[in-house]
Amino acid sequence: MRKAKACLLVLLFALSSFAQDAKPRSDAVFRVSSLNGVDFVLRNSPTSLKYLIETMPGGVALLDYNNDGLLDVFLVNGGHVREPMRSPFSFDRHDPAYWNRLYRQNRDGSFTDVTEQAGLANAGDTNYGMGVAVGDYDNDGFPDIYVTNYGKNILYHNNGDGTFTDVTAKAGVAAGGWSVSAGFFDYDNDGKLDLFVTRYLDWSVETSRTCGSAKPTYCAPGVFPPITNILYHNRGDGTFEDVSVPSGIASKKGHGLGVAFADYDGDGFTDIFVANDVTEQFLFHNNGNGTFSERALESGVALTSDGKMLSGMGVAFQDYDNDGFPDLLVTQLPHEPYVVFHNDGHGTFSPQELEAGFGMLSGKSSGWGVGLEDFDNDGWKDTFITQGHVFDNVEIYDSSLRYRDPPLLAMNRNGHFVQADAGSDVPVAGRGAAFGDLNNDGWVDVITTSLGDRPQLFLNREGKLHWLTITLRGKRSNRDGFGARVQVNGQVRFATATGSYLSSNDKRLHFGLGTAPSANIEIKWPSGIHQVLKDVKADEFVTIEEAASP
Amino acid sequence: MMQCLLAVCLLLQAQAAAPTVPPEAQAFLQDGIEAEKRHDFDAAIAAFRKAADLAPSSSIVFYHLGGAYMKKGDYAAAIPPLKHAAEMNPDSLPIHQMLGFALLAAGYAADAIPQLEIAHEYGALGIAQLQNGQPTEAVANLQAALAKTPGDPDLLYYLSRAAASLSSQSLDKLLSTFSDSARGHQAKGQTYFGMKLYPEAVKEYQQALALRPDLPGLHLELGQVYAANSAWAKAEEQFRLEAKLQPGNAEAAYRLGEALLQQGKMKEAAEELRRSDSLHPDMPETLYSLGRALTSGEPTAAQQAFESVIALEKETPLAAQAYLALAGIHRKQGKTELAAHEMEEFRRIQSATNTPAPTAP
Repeated sequence: MRKAKACLLVLLFALSSFAQDAKPRSDAVFRVSSLNGVDFVLRNSPTSLKYLIETMPGGVALLDYNNDGLLDVFLVNGGHVREPMRSPFSFDRHDPAYWNRLYRQNRDGSFTDVTEQAGLANAGDTNYGMGVAVGDYDNDGFPDIYVTNYGKNILYHNNGDGTFTDVTAKAGVAAGGWSVSAGFFDYDNDGKLDLFVTRYLDWSVETSRTCGSAKPTYCAPGVFPPITNILYHNRGDGTFEDVSVPSGIASKKGHGLGVAFADYDGDGFTDIFVANDVTEQFLFHNNGNGTFSERALESGVALTSDGKMLSGMGVAFQDYDNDGFPDLLVTQLPHEPYVVFHNDGHGTFSPQELEAGFGMLSGKSSGWGVGLEDFDNDGWKDTFITQGHVFDNVEIYDSSLRYRDPPLLAMNRNGHFVQADAGSDVPVAGRGAAFGDLNNDGWVDVITTSLGDRPQLFLNREGKLHWLTITLRGKRSNRDGFGARVQVNGQVRFATATGSYLSSNDKRLHFGLGTAPSANIEIKWPSGIHQVLKDVKADEFVTIEEAASP
Repeated sequence: MMQCLLAVCLLLQAQAAAPTVPPEAQAFLQDGIEAEKRHDFDAAIAAFRKAADLAPSSSIVFYHLGGAYMKKGDYAAAIPPLKHAAEMNPDSLPIHQMLGFALLAAGYAADAIPQLEIAHEYGALGIAQLQNGQPTEAVANLQAALAKTPGDPDLLYYLSRAAASLSSQSLDKLLSTFSDSARGHQAKGQTYFGMKLYPEAVKEYQQALALRPDLPGLHLELGQVYAANSAWAKAEEQFRLEAKLQPGNAEAAYRLGEALLQQGKMKEAAEELRRSDSLHPDMPETLYSLGRALTSGEPTAAQQAFESVIALEKETPLAAQAYLALAGIHRKQGKTELAAHEMEEFRRIQSATNTPAPTAP
């Protein structure tokens, strides 16, 4: 176990240049600003032809690509959409305006654009960007980046020297069609991270059409055929095998947008939840033998409590009520609350959005990126949701709705969520959200993306309660420790960077400890190793290596 | 409608007053009648015309000529011979009836009214009055016609239109004459609500309430505006005021219960929904919401409520929802077989009543 004092970093960041234009409100949880040195604009290129891809990007990842202890930011861009698009298609991704961008965090909290020198420029003219997943798939200690696109996806191997190499062809993970959210996880507990990719629709520029009676707008997903998701098995030699069919993943077609992982039934194998848009949700139960069974309906997570299809978009799969079982929070379109599926502890779920307070919190906005994170360190996971409608002309169809909305922040009070001041009422077309402790002060921050806008930083204004942040280092398990069940003073987190919408979170596990000065930690690694640490001092960054034996 | 009334009218042709037809015209008249039987209306018209030339004072000949044009669908051409027939034989009800039909079918509703009044043809008269902007009279005459032929779909259709027109006319009068009255603001609030213009609707209802805070229904309607906008706390406030004003109003109690339910106030919601159920028993929506409010705290009572919904609704989408909810209760209790059975029922009804997913806003 290695500890690093936070005080030096706190002092450092007190003088930092994170917040460039922030005037925090007295009750706001966050100080909201742009990121100093980040000039990225999410260029989705909306057209009158309403190509559906235009309204769906883009992802954001928080990762420490150079292992300097500071979170860096990777942002996925859309592309240039012409009116009309004509074959051969080009989204002009060679143009720097449409590049994905990697920003390295400097010691003073500012950022430096290292895209070009890292080898991440130009994501391919035929690729319209969507999301990002991060994981150390080759266990070399450096996080790798997987970018999803409408087109071909790209796997960038982190060379460990500040540069990346496009290894997509060798790895065999290009997918194709319209990929959306993705995530690394170890479904067979072999110590190597596998890869799951959601796909939205069987859609192409050629089959695109507009909908709407008053004025053309984007079509609902039901207009286009559903499509399968993809599961890649990591062979451990730098290549992956598409096991979508033999694993059973390809047995179901949907309109996948969000994905999250957790072992919902405690059998030691990581399961998959796919947030589908106007299709039944998917809960792929991991059978532990390389196959999955889709059990959403019998588990109670396929539909709303009224038996309706969800417009599932983003998803968080963590334990919100501290009963030790991972629950689901799924964002969706307005006129229905965001959905909470409470894990009842025996492999089944109950709808609890009204009991949890989401009837009061949602219904007027479309939700996208979502997290269950303890922003006030009181020991209960709160939620933050980016919002904004799919249709950029939604007001024509329903004057009570808005295209742009501010994000939703709600604090968890013993399992009931209550709206709080996120620090910004500025409406944006919110999409991606990534959660992590950007300034290493022990308080979780958020970075969001918005169509046509720069990313926003929601920098936590801190408080007086205690916290603990854990970095897992797997030995027999995958190096990131993804899939581990970590319990701290009764709270449980499932180690993952996946969740939200199109985005990848800080892989470190953050726990609010309330007034407790220390913590007892219990880890169940994917390898099956059980590890206990007692009386760990609060307010520390702790790295825990997987024990050699149980 | 005209086709239907025309058929009746032509059956009455034989009953039309029949002054003697000169012998020289009789043969042509008979030829015309035979041609009509063959549905050869052009030949019938030609024969009746020849008869008319030979007997210009015979109302029966002109009546037949008009009838042939009517059968051909040329209503405008039917009008002159029928008018001529009516001048010659003003006491013939069938002639006035057919002339009224012809005028109405050709779009001369105002001219048709006196003819149809003479003929006591209430159904067509009501239609003519509706088209002539007299919805009050139209409603009365269509109701009289429906009393004679209950369930006539044409008459029911026109009655609904006439009633809607009367309602609209009354509303127009209310808004033009008493725009600033409580009822005027209420009516405007309803209109804005229908157009999903929620802030405007709220403003109107608030103005109505400022004028007459004790007017029953105002709080209920304002609450529904808030509810449609997911402003549940404000909706609760309004529904609570309505429930206080009208403690015997089951809908007010139901709406209040639903607003409480949406806020996660399950116990209070159950209380109000039970009260609503006692005021107006066996309302499926009330029982379904009651089941939802009780699911977490009183699963046995929730189960009873959902079973009541199923008993009442049987195969409707609401019954399917109740089966889904029952499955959830059984699942939580570990009764997996029962849960699976309820899910099967849910699936069965859902597939039978399924509506396609929306494809456009």
